[in-house]
Amino acid sequence: MYFIQHIESITHQDSFRKENLWSNLKPLDSDHALISPDYKSYIPAATLRRLSTILRMGITASKECQEKVFTEFDSISVGTGLGCLTDTEKFLLTINTVSGDILSPTAFIQSTHNTISGQISLDLKNHAYNMTHTQNAISFEVALTDAMLCVYEGKKSVLTGAADEAISFLERLRGTLIKTTHPFTSGVTFAVISPNKNQSIAHIQACEVLVSDQTENAVPEFLKKHRCELKDADLILEAGEQFASTGKKHVNFLTYSGYYQSASAFAFHLAHDWFIENKTAQKALIINNLESGKLGLTLLSRNEA
Amino acid sequence: MHIYVTGYGIISSIGENVEETLHALRSEKTGIRQGQKTYTERFKVGEIRWSNNELVERFSLTQHASRTALLGMIAAKEAFKNHKLLAEIKTGLISGTSVGGMDVSELAYKDFLNSKTDDLNTYRNHPNGTTSEQIAKELGIDGYVNTISTACSSAANSIMLGARMLLSGQLDRVVAGGTDGLSQFTISGFRSLMIFDDEWCRPFDETRKGLNLGEGAGFLVLETEETIRKTGKKPLAVLSGWSNASDAYHQTASSPEGLGATLSMKGALEVAGLKPEDIDYINAHGTATPNNDLSESHGIRAIFGDAVPPFSSTKAYTGHTLAASGGIEAVLGILALHNGSLLPNLNFSQAIEETRLTPIKNYSEGHEIKHILSNSFGFGGNNSTIILSKI
Repeated sequence: MYFIQHIESITHQDSFRKENLWSNLKPLDSDHALISPDYKSYIPAATLRRLSTILRMGITASKECQEKVFTEFDSISVGTGLGCLTDTEKFLLTINTVSGDILSPTAFIQSTHNTISGQISLDLKNHAYNMTHTQNAISFEVALTDAMLCVYEGKKSVLTGAADEAISFLERLRGTLIKTTHPFTSGVTFAVISPNKNQSIAHIQACEVLVSDQTENAVPEFLKKHRCELKDADLILEAGEQFASTGKKHVNFLTYSGYYQSASAFAFHLAHDWFIENKTAQKALIINNLESGKLGLTLLSRNEA
Repeated sequence: MHIYVTGYGIISSIGENVEETLHALRSEKTGIRQGQKTYTERFKVGEIRWSNNELVERFSLTQHASRTALLGMIAAKEAFKNHKLLAEIKTGLISGTSVGGMDVSELAYKDFLNSKTDDLNTYRNHPNGTTSEQIAKELGIDGYVNTISTACSSAANSIMLGARMLLSGQLDRVVAGGTDGLSQFTISGFRSLMIFDDEWCRPFDETRKGLNLGEGAGFLVLETEETIRKTGKKPLAVLSGWSNASDAYHQTASSPEGLGATLSMKGALEVAGLKPEDIDYINAHGTATPNNDLSESHGIRAIFGDAVPPFSSTKAYTGHTLAASGGIEAVLGILALHNGSLLPNLNFSQAIEETRLTPIKNYSEGHEIKHILSNSFGFGGNNSTIILSKI
């Protein structure tokens, strides 16, 4: 069993250190902005200055998870769709504008995708398995399946999640390479998965990814494999409206998260908190169809009392 | 349950396939030379001579893509060449890369900065994940496709994840490895870190000054025992051990005592059920930076004590191929198993004073080599070890 012990998000919603995300959830309006916690309480000021948003969010959310579950993480599995975009762009700018032999290495060092998971291990002085997955819009799901694999192999306290950050350059790709009407946003979600129930209210029944040109029957087939049907889902969270007429309640999570490649990690948090919001809900399904040609499917269930 | 290697493919500056690579190893011929591109001409690099268009033509590829994706397609195609896609054999692809399609997106971005019209479609190739999707498409693989990006340990981690996906029954067969094409971004990045050697790199040498970068790709096909019964494939080697651990010391530097390295080697030996004395050859990470080689030497000493088996870094052959290095070096490891060869650490002359470790100096064959340990260490203190064993 893959019990969710704790979960934290930093997003454009009021989502950090909250009992139940649904209490304050609002569709993003034109004034939306990243709601940043006081990073100074988590990261020393000297370090904080050189960290980009994605690193600040990643370290802070994971640190809060560590504080809540006590048990030291014995595996860390992080997903990111586009990685550390701010530092990548900054270093690209540097190499195209700065002449001479001396370049500041900070942006290069922090541009690497695994800076997020690496900084977490550094910050927590954690020597465990440390992995960074990046598979475009299903980056969260490939990280989550690895985290579940760690639990399957006997690990007891696995930190998993995903992070992505928006840069203004993305606007140039809107409508051509990125077809969305939702605003580009930043977000991070981290969760702790364990084989022990403890105080957990929900567990991950299954998570699968599919990269294929043929994904039409994937959702019913996935559910059938896990002895479930669309109508059994008390909540369907989807990156769109394709399944809007199915299930008891349907939510297009992009309305609340905005667009970032690992936004399904926020849907994962919403799914978890639905079991707090709705006392009778038993199952929540996340259909991550953010990009065509790939699909992430995650099924959460309420724990038996 | 054993994890078998049933295919391998490689491209680097020392050869465009397994056969050419073996020939270069035997003749102790480095692929590192003065760079030929505008951004590499000041450095010694392990460059592949063909342009992206030439690669597409030469290797009959069906897609135009970034250098990272193209090199990956070439090595993965070689690894998978005698394999068939079958509905009953669930096949996945896991590739490691550090910068994905940067070699093409950085050109478009440069146009953008210079107020020229940048071809937006170029950025389609940029994401790391896209390079793996393109490689998978070239092989006809769909379903589970994943990309690991843990800097220089990416390919080793892909191979490790592949083995774990097989053991847990989620896949029957997996193509796993890594690829990285050189880009101005990468060259400038390592230049900013001031860890280049202007001369040929000298891993594990007291006078080492830094690394030479390289490019390439290396992939393995991994299958379970049960899959082999269906495919009838003859195994080339057993992937017997793997481990990843975090050094948690510094974002780019390795800990002086080599803690992460020690943990990953120890973990891989445990998975393989082997003792240190069972290892016949170590293919070290050995980038030739002062920091890595000293730290790794301490790690090797911590595991093997005074009985350090023959070891070498092959990076003086290929240059440091970053995310591809674990895949490339896994292929070199299998060649060493097959031919009983000890691979030389080119350009070595003087042992590091502090650790007094002398690597293999010359190529030789005919040794009894049963188990090989291969290290790959990346930024963020990401340390990985895999163990390959003779059938």
